[in-house]
Amino acid sequence: MTQVETIPHAVSDPHYIDRERYYDRAFFDLERARLWTHTWQMACRLEEIPAVGDYVEYTICDQSVLVVRTAPEEVKGYLNACRHRATQLALGTGAFRGGQIVCPFHGWRWNLDGSPSFIYGAEGFEPACLAEQELRLRECRVGTWGGCVFVNLDPDARPLLEALEPMPSLLDPLGVDRMRVYWWKAVRVRANWKMAQEAFMEGWHVMQTHPQLTLGRPDSYRADSLEYHSYANGHSGFWSKPGMRPVWDAEHEVDSIIASSRLLWEGLDAMTLARDVHVLESLRNRPYEPGGFGSMLVQAIYEYAAGANIPLPMPEDPAALVRWGGVFYIFPNYFILPQYGNALIYRSRPDGDDPESCYFELWSVTIPPAHEPVGRPEFGGVHAPADAEAWPMIPLQDFSNIERQQRGLHSVGFDRLRLSSAYEDGISNMHRELDRYLSH
Amino acid sequence: MVLVRIEPSGLRLDVPEGESVAEAAWRQGYQWPTTCWGQADCMVCRVEVLEGADAVRDAGSEELDAVRRKLSPSLHRPGTRLACRLEVTGEGVVLRKEGVRGPAPRS
Repeated sequence: MTQVETIPHAVSDPHYIDRERYYDRAFFDLERARLWTHTWQMACRLEEIPAVGDYVEYTICDQSVLVVRTAPEEVKGYLNACRHRATQLALGTGAFRGGQIVCPFHGWRWNLDGSPSFIYGAEGFEPACLAEQELRLRECRVGTWGGCVFVNLDPDARPLLEALEPMPSLLDPLGVDRMRVYWWKAVRVRANWKMAQEAFMEGWHVMQTHPQLTLGRPDSYRADSLEYHSYANGHSGFWSKPGMRPVWDAEHEVDSIIASSRLLWEGLDAMTLARDVHVLESLRNRPYEPGGFGSMLVQAIYEYAAGANIPLPMPEDPAALVRWGGVFYIFPNYFILPQYGNALIYRSRPDGDDPESCYFELWSVTIPPAHEPVGRPEFGGVHAPADAEAWPMIPLQDFSNIERQQRGLHSVGFDRLRLSSAYEDGISNMHRELDRYLSH
Repeated sequence: MVLVRIEPSGLRLDVPEGESVAEAAWRQGYQWPTTCWGQADCMVCRVEVLEGADAVRDAGSEELDAVRRKLSPSLHRPGTRLACRLEVTGEGVVLRKEGVRGPAPRS
């Protein structure tokens, strides 16, 4: 039986979150010891390692894992330390050519399957030091889902798909596994990794943070236009309530939908891409029954995909398409925002050892036309949160609040965050799942 | 697939499109000198292109940068390339590389 401990700053009332959870060193160390070394986490996209021998180094806090394609249909994760004197075997991303993983210090080598292939100077060691089982590269757990490799440093962790429940059932019908990287950038934000990601765990900040998306009508932008769901395992999601748009202008329905889609494309270049704006524009003057624009749009999106040879899957249950435009949070730090054949993806990680800095990545992904060659994704670099050259308008607006929140936490006049039970339970749900990890 | 000749051994090596000379050699069981195994780090696999310079791909920025930073100036020769990055596009290529050995005969 595992021992349940009382942890500092635990969530005792789901409507309040202690501020210390975002900056306290002891709390951060507890996360490092009990969350990050025991939870499944997205390590890389599968298209980063297309060929046998390709690798990506994934780092979390002070841990480093080499995610390696060891066979056409096999990926392994190796803990990144030479069995001799701990040298990290590889950094960044690249390929182990000739099928050899080589320590740069004394030239000890391993095959892609983790077995030692050459031990230079072996004659100088006690034989017991060099037993094959001693020298094999240490592995971590690896699983794949949604076009990504996930790793878990806990050998006793439950299977990935069990930990992800119920998110695959919500997202698989939308074809997320077929999507590939269109662009990928990162930002260092002076805020705790949770503070950064919580900016994306509710949608009612749009009225104030992204005023352009209200189309000049902030007064009619309804906070209750989205439905929120908290799930087991810390996951959550939200999407539009059926038949309800935050900006509802019955007389100019089509114009306002097209205008907001164009703003999403211009302001984000994700979820809605140029080709989708093009499809929407083609519908501007097409007649439809009252309330029937949505189904006409769905039909047009699928017709375009068919014509462009884009394998956009049709869900068995068409009601799944209500989740287009939604936000899906996968505990502890991964988000998918699917729309049409595209998605925006976020990942938030602690930035090294600093509780008040995080490394936040954004991917815009899309289903490419079938048979179109897809290369390894090009990383677009790390940019400052206020870099208007690097970031479109929408992320700029989000980032600007996050650092102000982190600083505000330290105010002597502030004690704890208060959460909406209707709109922000996903945040509370995440913290409660976090406490389950921290207390074992 | 292109046949490349290695001097002074006179060995011949099949190099398919898209694979480097050293990787093709390792895959086929040749011994081709290296210590870093294709990380463009050790400079041990380097060759001189003796013939067929127009039938090899130009060095990319990664290779040029590695050679500039990691190959001692006194070891630079005209036509020096890293075999772990060298790709061949046509017949007639002859490389100079000491210490290459062919695959061991099957026992």
